[in-house]
Amino acid sequence: MKRTKAFTIPYVIWMAIFVVAPIIMIVIYAFSGADGGFTLSNFSTMGDYTVVFVRSFRLAIIATVICLLIGYPVAYLLSKEGPRFQRVATVLIMLPMWMNFLLRTYSWMAILENNGLLNQFLGLFGLGPFQMIDTQGAVVLGMVYNYLPFMILPIYSVIVKLDNSLVEAAHDLGANSVVAFRRVIFPLSLPGVLSGITMVFVPSVSTFAISTMLGGGTEFLLGDLIEQQFLGGAYNPQLGAAIALVMMVIVVLCMLVMNRFGEGEEQAVVL
Amino acid sequence: MSKELIRLSDCVVKYDDEIILDHLNLYINDKEFLTLLGPSGCGKTTTLRIIGGFQKPTSGDVFFDGRRCNDVPPHKRQINTVFQKYALFTHMNIFENVAFGLRIAKVPEADITRRVEEALEIVNLPGYGKRSVTSLSGGQQQRVAIARAIVNRPQVLLLDEPLGALDMKLRKDMQVELKRIQREVGITFIYVTHDQEEALTMSDTVVVMDKGNIQQIGTPEDIYNEPKNAFVADFIGESNIIDGTMPEDKVVKMYGKKFPCLDGGFAPNEPVDVVIRPEDIDIVSPEAGQITGTVTEVTFKGMHYDIIVDFQGFKWLIQTTDYSPEGARIGVKIDPDGFHIMKKSQYSGMFGDYSSYSEEYDELNVDPDAAEGDDEED
Amino acid sequence: MKKNSAFSRFFTVLVFLFLYAPIILLIVFSFNQNNSNVVWGGFSLHWYKELFHNRIIMRSLYTTLLVSLLATVISTIAGTFAAIGFYGLRRRTRSALNTVNNIPMVNADIVTGVAMCLFFVAFFALWKDFALWVNSVQSLFVLPTRLTLGFPTLLIAHITFNIPYVLLSVSPKLRQLDKNLIDAAQDLGCTWFQAFYKVILPEIKPGIVSGALTAFTMSIDDFIISYFTAGSSSSTLAMTIYGMTKKRVSPEINAISTLLFVTVILLLAVINIREAQQEKAAARREAAPSATVAEMAGSRPRRTPLPVKAAAVAACVAVLATTAVGAFQNTRKPMVNVCSWGEYIDEALISQFEEETGILVNYQTAESNEALYSLLKSGAGDYDVIVPSDYMISQLIEEDMLEKLDYNNIPNFSLIGDQFKNLPYDPTNEYTVPYTWGTVGIIYNTAMVEEPITSWSAMFDDKYAGQVLMFRNSRDAMATALLYLGYDINTTDEAQLRQAAELIADAKGRGVYQAFVMDEIFLKMEGGNAAIGAYYAGDYLTAVENNPDLAFVIPEEGSNWFVDAMCVLKDAPHKAEAEAWINFIASTEANLANMDFIWYASPNEKALAEYPAYYEELYGEPLEQEVYEIIAAPAEVLERCESYISLPKETRQLYNELWIGLGIQ
Repeated sequence: MKRTKAFTIPYVIWMAIFVVAPIIMIVIYAFSGADGGFTLSNFSTMGDYTVVFVRSFRLAIIATVICLLIGYPVAYLLSKEGPRFQRVATVLIMLPMWMNFLLRTYSWMAILENNGLLNQFLGLFGLGPFQMIDTQGAVVLGMVYNYLPFMILPIYSVIVKLDNSLVEAAHDLGANSVVAFRRVIFPLSLPGVLSGITMVFVPSVSTFAISTMLGGGTEFLLGDLIEQQFLGGAYNPQLGAAIALVMMVIVVLCMLVMNRFGEGEEQAVVL
Repeated sequence: MSKELIRLSDCVVKYDDEIILDHLNLYINDKEFLTLLGPSGCGKTTTLRIIGGFQKPTSGDVFFDGRRCNDVPPHKRQINTVFQKYALFTHMNIFENVAFGLRIAKVPEADITRRVEEALEIVNLPGYGKRSVTSLSGGQQQRVAIARAIVNRPQVLLLDEPLGALDMKLRKDMQVELKRIQREVGITFIYVTHDQEEALTMSDTVVVMDKGNIQQIGTPEDIYNEPKNAFVADFIGESNIIDGTMPEDKVVKMYGKKFPCLDGGFAPNEPVDVVIRPEDIDIVSPEAGQITGTVTEVTFKGMHYDIIVDFQGFKWLIQTTDYSPEGARIGVKIDPDGFHIMKKSQYSGMFGDYSSYSEEYDELNVDPDAAEGDDEED
Repeated sequence: MKKNSAFSRFFTVLVFLFLYAPIILLIVFSFNQNNSNVVWGGFSLHWYKELFHNRIIMRSLYTTLLVSLLATVISTIAGTFAAIGFYGLRRRTRSALNTVNNIPMVNADIVTGVAMCLFFVAFFALWKDFALWVNSVQSLFVLPTRLTLGFPTLLIAHITFNIPYVLLSVSPKLRQLDKNLIDAAQDLGCTWFQAFYKVILPEIKPGIVSGALTAFTMSIDDFIISYFTAGSSSSTLAMTIYGMTKKRVSPEINAISTLLFVTVILLLAVINIREAQQEKAAARREAAPSATVAEMAGSRPRRTPLPVKAAAVAACVAVLATTAVGAFQNTRKPMVNVCSWGEYIDEALISQFEEETGILVNYQTAESNEALYSLLKSGAGDYDVIVPSDYMISQLIEEDMLEKLDYNNIPNFSLIGDQFKNLPYDPTNEYTVPYTWGTVGIIYNTAMVEEPITSWSAMFDDKYAGQVLMFRNSRDAMATALLYLGYDINTTDEAQLRQAAELIADAKGRGVYQAFVMDEIFLKMEGGNAAIGAYYAGDYLTAVENNPDLAFVIPEEGSNWFVDAMCVLKDAPHKAEAEAWINFIASTEANLANMDFIWYASPNEKALAEYPAYYEELYGEPLEQEVYEIIAAPAEVLERCESYISLPKETRQLYNELWIGLGIQ
């Protein structure tokens, strides 16, 4: 299939223009001042936003861990169901994506409000009202809610492909269900876990809108900060580019460190 | 042989309406090398999985050392398995794979090291512990899988078509190797295969299965020399199977002629299947032959020729070192011990005619409900 | 295999409940009689009917479907070819390219969006120079010099982030292919292309289909990348929703989302049932080996039945045709791009204007003056008419971003009251025509406070801890503090400003504020979730319709009064149409309609005076004087109020610094 090599050329050009060049633009902007000259001041001003960086990464990590704690069991339980159930369930997990995430998050606002459905429900038992919206907890909930499918699906797709004879081999060698899970199933599902973590962590750390809607304006995150510099109230694209660049670098470093754990697994797992 | 170790009693396995095992009865002695042999779908792997505890019979009982063990999970059985595609853990190196069972049993670390090395030595892979599983060839992976099983010193080792993925030469070597390992560790091997040669080479006992039923149990020699029905005769080696009758003991009649044979115990003139192995037929001149036929096809096979001969419309396969040209008229002579007489069975008429000569075994789909339960036990 | 226990089933069900609870809620409230999404007002299909008359929603739905379909088709074809190309490459080259290919998937959406936005804007700048040069050296053709973000850039962005998904689902199928397939086909007499078409394509089809589906889903669901690349002239459904979540998501959105969602469910259900049936049929055939020749013929490999294929093709053709026609019409018809605020116009006026003049109106909204400024600066906003507030107008004039108006084309300007002409932001009135005016005050829930609120002190009072909503924009928030402290809201005194920021920080530290909000205040005040909030008078009147307990006060310390005025941007491509629009909006009829719809006061003297009569005629009951005075604050109230003026640059920087210090967006 030698002649097919030529097929790559248009796409390589496309990638060069629309993937690589824009990222170079980010780098250029990050190192320019408002007048267009070279400067490092964007990075020094960023110090003011350390608290936002810390908050973003902390909330994203919490959300990722919760997604993993919920998503892994779901993926695992799903893989043990009958094929018909599995097919319907995987569709059901994807389906919420067809209703815009902003709208679903907006719906959470109505649920979590002080006077919202959840508090009204709890009120029936004489509980509350609890302050749920406009807290960090609400922001984390928004992240978990929106990105949980991205944790379940990659893990599920790895577990479901696991050779059942490996599990049987573990049982055969004396492992009970718990040990077989810990020593065999979980280690072998790590590629799915890693890709799930990536797919939840990256959008969580960079999200905007969710934090504004559920965090009451005080829990703003890196995504909001960047958006503010471009299309929001604080026009400063150079600073925005610098923040985006730093965030990108930190995320890439995190991913590199994480992939060290899953060494040798070059298998890319997608939906 | 020594005492009985495992007994399957009246085991039935059904999926929906499909019968996988049909009232199977089987016992297995300690320290024997027993092979479950049959075409795919015959129930041999299911039998193995029942013994391993991976599957429960729909009805019937499994006994291990005299105790009913239907409900004992696999990890509590003193049985280990070598899986079809080895099922090695790719996230561990060879040492850890082999040590897996020992670690779970909380064997002291020093013992683990020693025993793993021993096991690797037994399978001829000393010093391979540090390597990764994926760096090994198929044959080596196979040995690791065996080491991983035997290191736990099980009473029984189950092997599910372990040589299926290997090439011809390697298979032959591994057959010898397996036999050696079995002698060395001195435990029961239960081996599943569809390859009759493998079964005959290694086993103490061969169990021939088809459609969820045991067709015959016996030593390799018994099975080969005294097949109980047309299925066994055809499945084990090559056979010409001809309709005949038994006018009296030690006389068989076919093609209207009587031939002396060694079998007896049939009702007078009972219709029977007559099995004649291709290598038991001598080609002689037409005049000297007990019957005569015409050569229709000759194939050179190296050590011998495969000759297809037409005897009154029924084609025989003869393996001989003497060359006869196509179209030649020849006579054949069969010694009395060359005839194997079988009772008629459901398989009569289905095998043993070489009219459409093919080395391939065709799996015939017959409604399983039509198969009658004719379990046999020896 | 072991089946799951009841407990694990329960856990799974719980997770699904978590995933679907908000969706069910949305669907339920799409049938609500009133426009709340908390209070049930009875069953009604009202919003489904309204939906089809809502041009903004329908247009953004159209854009969404169009961009998703086009992007899916293009990226599926491109991705498939790219995958085949990758397959033929050497391992090293391939893995290097794969890394680049993965960038859009691994990178955060916002980084991709921002990067593309910067890239496009930079490209447009280069293009402008190039086009000017080309136009200057020859006269055969004229290159357009002004390119802006719009549908093409949106499409490019979608294609770019979709291709990797297609590639990723086609590549594994290629790897599973028998390497000799092409050779075998060619051996049997196919040309390379025939071999590709007849052998490779059917083999990798499942990968292509799943790639296309993923791409389509991603396109439909995407918001962030679209947000940065769509510019102002096209808006996807997600962007429209985003604009609304700031204020109030109109239940029509619930309705359209429900429709989309149900369509997808039905489609998936049909596909699933079909597949299940086919599987059963296949199983049956396998079970019966004695298949007749006729049955064998029936068991050909699964194919999409012709009607489905035909339907898919027809759908694509229809969409492409409408686009073509739409694009053709758009280029032919004069148009005007307007950017205003959310729920800030009686939409019937747009249709009326289009009918009367034949000029198409592309109506967009921005969140705040500051956001509007960013949109203009970043090149993402390509408008003709904008409606900024006073202080922003002076800043825009200062930066030479506005065009002078030709008042000969705007005869209705004479109807504007004199007190709204020559205001400080446009002292000689060369750039602006006022749109509305209003005041800032405190909205409070009478059921939740003990005595009427009269002072800005309520915004800083521990008594209402956790119940107060503060502005989420620096100018308005600082103004509340400055007013409370008795300072001028336009002060440039650093000490005074720092003291004001300190006051807010202190109150924030004491937990006075429940949240910092803009239009989210509607949801919170109407739902009784907060007791006190500072906001605009007109918006109070909208809120009180949904919660009669609400009251409004302009505190005794005085307040801010503001004017929003229409202006035309420098070099606007549709200046004549823009002036026609401004003239239309300045008319007494339009002002009356707008005033009735948005509850902000009209600068049109006649309209302002006639409104009570207009109201009475329309609703059959007199307008309460109290309400009228909230809309149009009487002179004695206005005396206490002051308008913002544009602050000098150093003060703006100080504001920014103080705002960051507060840790609010």
